[in-house]
Amino acid sequence: MRLGRFELLLEPRAQLSAISAVLTAVLAIVLALALSSVLFMSAEGGVVSGYRVLFSYAFFNLSGLLATLQRAVYLLFCTYAFLVPLRAGLWNIGLPGQVFAGALAAFAVPLLLSPGRPPALPPALVIGIMVVAAAVAGAVLGGFSGILRARLQVNEILVTMMLNSIFFWLVSYMIKEGGPLMGATAEGESFSLPPALYAPLLGGLPFTALLALGAAVCLDLLFAKTALGYRIRALGENPAAARYGGILPVALSLTVFVLGGAFAGVAGYHYFAALPGLYKIPGNYGFYGDLAFYGIISALIARGSSLAAVPIAVLFAGLSLGARFAQGALHLPFGVDYALLGLLMMTFVGSQVVYNFRLSWRRLPAGAAAAVAPRIPEA
Amino acid sequence: MWELLARSLEASTIFLFAGLGELIDQRSGVLNVGLEGVMLFGGTAAFITAQTTGSYPLGFAAGLAVGALLGVAHGFFSISLRGDQVVSGMGLWILSFGLTTFLGSRYTGPLGLPRIPAVAGLSPFFPLGVLLIAAGWVLLFRTSLGLAVRSAGENPAAAEASGVNVAAIRYLCVTVGGALAGLSGATYTLSYNPVWTYNFLMGWGFVSLALVFFSMWNPWILLAGATLFGLMWQLSLSPELVLPGVLSRYIWRTVPFAITIPILVVISTSWFRTRWGLARPEALGRPYVKG
Repeated sequence: MRLGRFELLLEPRAQLSAISAVLTAVLAIVLALALSSVLFMSAEGGVVSGYRVLFSYAFFNLSGLLATLQRAVYLLFCTYAFLVPLRAGLWNIGLPGQVFAGALAAFAVPLLLSPGRPPALPPALVIGIMVVAAAVAGAVLGGFSGILRARLQVNEILVTMMLNSIFFWLVSYMIKEGGPLMGATAEGESFSLPPALYAPLLGGLPFTALLALGAAVCLDLLFAKTALGYRIRALGENPAAARYGGILPVALSLTVFVLGGAFAGVAGYHYFAALPGLYKIPGNYGFYGDLAFYGIISALIARGSSLAAVPIAVLFAGLSLGARFAQGALHLPFGVDYALLGLLMMTFVGSQVVYNFRLSWRRLPAGAAAAVAPRIPEA
Repeated sequence: MWELLARSLEASTIFLFAGLGELIDQRSGVLNVGLEGVMLFGGTAAFITAQTTGSYPLGFAAGLAVGALLGVAHGFFSISLRGDQVVSGMGLWILSFGLTTFLGSRYTGPLGLPRIPAVAGLSPFFPLGVLLIAAGWVLLFRTSLGLAVRSAGENPAAAEASGVNVAAIRYLCVTVGGALAGLSGATYTLSYNPVWTYNFLMGWGFVSLALVFFSMWNPWILLAGATLFGLMWQLSLSPELVLPGVLSRYIWRTVPFAITIPILVVISTSWFRTRWGLARPEALGRPYVKG
């Protein structure tokens, strides 16, 4: 773009420094929050009141903070589910489907082990089996998409979206109208877990919080310090060079999708089977599936680092929870948390420009500014 | 039975409009995985406008305009800024999903206008869809503009060398593609199912996207695929008309999605590609940088 004697150029950027990347991510989030002020314009007390209610509930209130952390664990698992395939250059947007698969598998365990009775096995063992079943179910679903992508180059975005829809309806079948997991009250919900199978809590948080934090450390170590991590990164950054270097894309694509699916499956266990006050698959389970998409943005903003994703997941959990609370408290239209999700995604996409390009000024040589368009000779 | 068929053709129209828009996008080399988002925004804008003004034409115009605008936004990121087209498309989808939920929530419920009259029980949009398919085919395969579009999607450097302005062609295509996706959403909310509810599409856009791959980037095959999927979709909603009492209605709802996967698998096999010459645009999804 020309401005008098100067030209404004977008030049490709080789790499963004770590500090600049962090600042860009922070700026993207702040910008999204600034844009979100539009959502609170109709709030009683205006924009400031809207933000005050949102943040005070999510972060400065004991029960709200606990709910934020519980949701953050869920978002973290969803973040890993997206992040691991992303490091190999693949998009796993089948988070809701994998979450539902995990939840169904987890609830199937007590049903199969001891239908209608308290489990005969030690509760700790049953809980362990439930977590493993959830992870396996998610992994199988993820692996299915991964193998199709790796072997046949079937677009993984389309396959995972199809599986999301399939499992959305499959949950309905399982918990409604006489489905195998339907609750005794037949209110379109699954049966509730018996108290013996409630997940052990540590300071109000289920043990899955430790799993999530442990996974954050392990994943960053995996990508930074192991041969497998190197191969995954190589495949993601330059598939042709990776193949030339002897890396097998089929096996790796399957691996990352299986791993990602397993994390999403555990997320399904965490939200439906381990959180106090729930312990069942509720009728509005679709909402929890939608929440999983925060994991996508969280992974993208964290630039593939699972440890960097931890504070981002906590922030997003608080924002989504606080937005939903503010919506009720200030009589706002439904969907403030969804709109926030959309705005965060939009500012993230905008921030990609900063990652890829830098603005530079170039002084035009004398005469160039007043250059005349060449005349086309007449026929 | 005719009622089911007519309803199926109306459902296929939604796939048709969106699929044709995406086909034009992809023929020029731009992939828009945010198709469902554009449809959501177009449908919501159309619904709100029509309900507020009481005018169908204004509703459709709003759907078209919003769709075109979102197409331009996607174009700006993927053509001018040469960004990752998947990131941009996903951004578009999540943005639309989030914002339409908020903006449309106060309009939740029926449209409250007299239904658009059918012609002999058939929605007037289906013939329009067939006309658009014919026009799209003529434009892509029988005009110099179509040649420019296809060359921009196959080999943009060669196209540029032969005098085609690749950026302008791609912008034109994403604008038209966006407008058609907006029209598709508008057709859904104003004619096919004139009730607004959050995330009302629940997969229509992604099935339309899959149909473009299925069509081998040919408008006539897209028409056949859309018709087939429309029938399947309608059957999944009303299975009792054909197979009463067989399987739960929830299982039926999974059928269109479940069938899409094997179709995607089949068209991805080397056997299929070599037999039918899958015409995937060579430069699809790749930003063009002038050499």
